Amino acid sequence: MIYAGIDIGSSTAKAALIKKNRLLGTHVIPTGYNPLNAGITVFEAVLEKVGVSKIDITAIVSTGYGRASVNFADTAMTEIICHGTGAHFMNPDIRGIIDVGGQDSKAILLDKNGQVENFAMNDKCAAGTGRFIEVMANALEVELDQMGDFSLKADKPSKISSICTVFAESEVISMIAGLQKRENIIAGIHESAAARVAILAFKINIKEPVMMTGGVAKNKGMITALEKRLGFELIVGDFAQENGAIGAAVLASRL
Amino acid sequence: MKEIKIFHDATKDVSAFADKIKAKQKKIVGTLCSYAPEELIYAAGFHPMRLFSSKSDIILAEQHLQTYCCSLVRGVLEDSLSGRLDFLDGTVFPHTCDSIQRLSDIWRMKGRYEFFADVVLPVKLNTQSAKIYMVDVLTKFKKDLEIAAGREITDTDLRESIKKFNLIRKNLSKIYALQSQKPGIIKGADLYTIVKGSMVMDRDEVADLLPAIAANIEKMDTPEQNGKRIVVSGSICDSPDIYTAIEAAGGVIVGDDLCTGQRWFEGQILEDEEPLTAIATRYMDRIICPAKHSSATARGENMISLAKKNKADGVVFMLLKFCDPHAFDYPYLKEFLEKENIKTLLIEMDDQQQNLGQLSTRFETFIHYI
Amino acid sequence: MPDKLSDKRKIKCAKKMRDIMTTYYLDAMTAEQNNKQVAWITSGGPVEPLVAMDIIPVYPENHGAMIGASKMGEDLCTKAEDMGYSSDLCSYARTDISCSVVKGGPIGGLPKPDMLICCNNICGTVLKWYEVQARFYKVPLFILDTPICHTRYSPEIAKYVRAQIDEYIVFLEKITKRNFDYEKMAQVGKLAYKSQMLWQKVLNTTARNPSPMSAFDAFFFLALIVTLRGTQIAVDFYKDLLEEMEQRIKDGISMVPNEKYRLLWDNLPIWYRLKWLSNKFSDHNACLVADTYTSAWCSAIKYTDENNFLDSIAEAYTRIYLNIGVDQMADQVLEMIKFYDINGLVMHSNRSCKPYSFGQMDIMKIVREKTNIPVLMIEADMVDPRNFSQSQVETRIDAFMEIIKQRNS
Repeated sequence: MIYAGIDIGSSTAKAALIKKNRLLGTHVIPTGYNPLNAGITVFEAVLEKVGVSKIDITAIVSTGYGRASVNFADTAMTEIICHGTGAHFMNPDIRGIIDVGGQDSKAILLDKNGQVENFAMNDKCAAGTGRFIEVMANALEVELDQMGDFSLKADKPSKISSICTVFAESEVISMIAGLQKRENIIAGIHESAAARVAILAFKINIKEPVMMTGGVAKNKGMITALEKRLGFELIVGDFAQENGAIGAAVLASRL
Repeated sequence: MKEIKIFHDATKDVSAFADKIKAKQKKIVGTLCSYAPEELIYAAGFHPMRLFSSKSDIILAEQHLQTYCCSLVRGVLEDSLSGRLDFLDGTVFPHTCDSIQRLSDIWRMKGRYEFFADVVLPVKLNTQSAKIYMVDVLTKFKKDLEIAAGREITDTDLRESIKKFNLIRKNLSKIYALQSQKPGIIKGADLYTIVKGSMVMDRDEVADLLPAIAANIEKMDTPEQNGKRIVVSGSICDSPDIYTAIEAAGGVIVGDDLCTGQRWFEGQILEDEEPLTAIATRYMDRIICPAKHSSATARGENMISLAKKNKADGVVFMLLKFCDPHAFDYPYLKEFLEKENIKTLLIEMDDQQQNLGQLSTRFETFIHYI
Repeated sequence: MPDKLSDKRKIKCAKKMRDIMTTYYLDAMTAEQNNKQVAWITSGGPVEPLVAMDIIPVYPENHGAMIGASKMGEDLCTKAEDMGYSSDLCSYARTDISCSVVKGGPIGGLPKPDMLICCNNICGTVLKWYEVQARFYKVPLFILDTPICHTRYSPEIAKYVRAQIDEYIVFLEKITKRNFDYEKMAQVGKLAYKSQMLWQKVLNTTARNPSPMSAFDAFFFLALIVTLRGTQIAVDFYKDLLEEMEQRIKDGISMVPNEKYRLLWDNLPIWYRLKWLSNKFSDHNACLVADTYTSAWCSAIKYTDENNFLDSIAEAYTRIYLNIGVDQMADQVLEMIKFYDINGLVMHSNRSCKPYSFGQMDIMKIVREKTNIPVLMIEADMVDPRNFSQSQVETRIDAFMEIIKQRNS
């Protein structure tokens, strides 16, 4: 019996298939403006990748901000439960999760059985989310996936004090005008975002080991900045971005 | 001026300065409001110290106060929780505003310092019953201080303390008056530092230094400059850079309506009255803070007279973001001033961030057109 | 989506309540023609002396709630911002201030006041707000200053507030040019006490499992205890409402069809999203059975002496829910969690209300330590919808409910 999880995030859509306790495969595409289409496309792509067809799938759980749009899913669950379940599935020792997504970042505390004990999410503003880093990358004219490498070359990270994305952007622009090194500005952006995310982890008294999930986990600059803030190392798995979809698939197997 | 340098040194590193006070076996009591009865704290043998935010990143305070709380309240809580205020032996909270009211609760529940007092003064300052209540509260506070100090505060102690603070206030008023008469005689950043220093430094030292500064600048000639005369209004304006930016834009600060300025030091305490009643009388008559009430137009009338007395060309409102009492008054104060043909500029500040580039542009534009 | 509230579940008293409120507002709107005076008063202020003097009390905060519920908040808030009021200020105040100028809102603005009565037991904002209105309408303002009782109700506070109750009466005598009727005051005091007791009993019925009504209904039925406290109308109405609730309990009629989870709400309602929130929780088989807000109008009743009303209201009005320390507020929340058998606490972090919202995180921590129930905080505003993000709130509520379900499975 094969189970599917589909995670429609604000910037990417992810799908995962599992069979018993084995991950069969995952797929990631950009979400675009139609979450249902993204769900259909990413689902079909993962089926093709793994080499199974729709009728082989016993149950589907959708998650992510577009979870309600996936009308072919059996049920929808939030990212919080899915990330918790996904992380526990990948590594049963995990007690804490930090997930930095496109429009939301969150810290999740798990009990020993992988059940969510507590969680904290960013407040209404986008500081400390993937979106924040994306806006800054645009302001700096740097490709998003280059941000991590740039920031690792910084010698003296700039200080960005504003927690509001709009104000922070104007701060960054004035830094560019002030001829500060791009590497330093980028490292400063990561430190600023990391500070916001770390606050969420502190709020729930996060316990180690902590897994980092979400698309931003691919950004080494952000990981470094976060580890510095938190004072401990983060575990980044190979499927950090797809973790929510994996959790959704696991939950589908429990329906 | 070497006296001013002492103020600069003291305010640059408040915690190092606090260590010096502690070395003299003095206990330090922090305050956050210009209605905190410093005279009583001093008379008890403690050192009253006004607390400012060190403007560090907010991390620990995030677990207690939401982002829509002002940067002063969040900043001071952050300083406390992260141990930067460990030199404190106690804290006193006059009620002030909704945010400080809750800060007081959180502070008390954390219980980091030995001494804690809520001195909930009346909000109304225009009735006899409010004055009686104020004297009652001050009397109770005096008792609390006596228990903490382990000794009685005598009338003589209080009278001496009042004299000391009157002397400080008188000299600060004099320095401000001189600056208004001879604009530019003292740099804005120096003026700021002197006032701030007077709130944190050893008051005996302050009382020695201020008359010398006043005497020195009295002798100076009026500097040649034709800056526009600016009055600043707001709660706190804890940044010398802002004063410098106003001057760089072609302005000169000739007076203020700040909690860390004239609102705090104007008005003498009657020395021949019963001390606690005399302290209360000054609070009742003093220039009012927007969190208090004496009449619906008291602040407006005061702003006009302040601006006129100082022949202000313009008034700059430096308002702390999320400071409700000031934000409520701003539209009417602006209207009152504009009726008198006094132009105004509104700057919304945040302790943690100051985009000086943008500020300078706004000051320059404002000063250019007034 | 079909309306889930079948006829059986509808509370019958709702219509009666609407009629009473309509009559009340009509009376207020036509006060001038009928030679009656109007006083604007804060929601936590002592209205009883006004009722005793036959002055019509009008509540800008109730008006603010109406503006919010009719989704007219954004427009009026923006108008206040155009007048120079910061968007960070209380949205009740912002809408009321701009409404006075533009005569907007669902009832075209409130009737012009002859006097303003401001009691600062709920916040410092009302002081500034009423100063604005005192300048705008050029009418006398009476301030009842009730110092916050961080840890206790001190003898100094007692003396000060008691003295002001007398000043309040002198103020009313001066404005009405009539003598204060102490006998009528005693009657009004008894009625006020009675209606508060009845309101508390109505709220207590939700301790039953399943609950005959929800906090969303309490938000609605609250209007009378605020506006008509001290009248026979309020007493009669709450008697009927209580009867209806008791009948519902007998008949096993619950507000949420399959009530499985019982939640407690903290802070003011999000007026423009009541229905959405109510459905959202109902879909999860959760009922908000109680809240800290509507119970604030009877939380200090233990200090009221119906036979010595004027003397006792100094204490009763000073020691209300918001005018005490955060630790005491947490104690009350813990009591409610126990009394109503609560599975989860939902806190509305309300940008408009600092004294209610600051300290919530400490209460949250205390609740987590002492009860082990999940606590959710959602950031919004009571009237200004620009501070509400539906998709964010939805995810948080769903995740919170998932945790509650896990824990109770």
